[in-house]
Amino acid sequence: MSTRDTSAEVAVLVRQTLALPESEPVQPGQLFFYDLGFTSMDLLDLLFRLEQHFKIEIPEGTIYHLARGELAEAEFAEDAVLTEAGRQRLMALLYDTPREIFPARIHATTLPRFCTVGAITRLVDHKLAASSWDKRNV
Amino acid sequence: MFELMRSISIDVANGRASGAAFVPGDHSLFADHFPGKSLLPGSLILELAAQVAGPLVEEFAKTQLQIERWAILGMVRDARFLQPVFLPASLEITAAISRSQSSNVSASVTVTVSGERVMQAELVMMMLESSAEWAVAIEARNDRLARWKEAS
Repeated sequence: MSTRDTSAEVAVLVRQTLALPESEPVQPGQLFFYDLGFTSMDLLDLLFRLEQHFKIEIPEGTIYHLARGELAEAEFAEDAVLTEAGRQRLMALLYDTPREIFPARIHATTLPRFCTVGAITRLVDHKLAASSWDKRNV
Repeated sequence: MFELMRSISIDVANGRASGAAFVPGDHSLFADHFPGKSLLPGSLILELAAQVAGPLVEEFAKTQLQIERWAILGMVRDARFLQPVFLPASLEITAAISRSQSSNVSASVTVTVSGERVMQAELVMMMLESSAEWAVAIEARNDRLARWKEAS
């Protein structure tokens, strides 16, 4: 079992992205766009940092694909807007995001906006686990 | 800035481009940077590199990702200014695609002067939908690009 503290490492990278001092707390429950004042460029910068630091790949659409899971594309989104089933899947994935944050119509390209620091940490853990599994089974 | 570019050559199949720029020593832009010893600012070296990376990523996106968008420099990563560039100077610029997705394409760029590397960086170009208000700017850019390609 890994003893790596992904949460602390993600917090450091978030601080670096926003040029925040070390004393500034970054908590798992904070929303990137709503609490930390992230812009889409900040998020892109953070994704680059996460990829470089953890040696993982987080391609565009990762949140979308994780939320959709095995659900058929047409059942998850119509004209790039999440269906009710898609909405439920997204909220289940992002269970620590306050429900009231999600608008009535959720456009498929905006999903990262609803992520907390904790959700991105879980994503990194998921990628690290997948990467570790891949290495063991080569 | 565009007047400083001389030529560009794009090898889209291999995700690479090269270009040449010439910066005179007596340009009014450098009158105070610095008097008697003109030095090309790092920000302008980056801009010249973006002039090569931009058309490369646009053509790459069009042919490899089947998306036609307008590339705008969005982020500079891991920039290193390795040598000062005193003017006048001829700059050789190379760019290679390092990462691509529909919203952004990155290119590793290297600039050399007289065979010496003076700058390297990764440029993240944001791929934007063009709108009608950009039509004149895009047409002018396409004309410039055609001239630069002809000169290569």
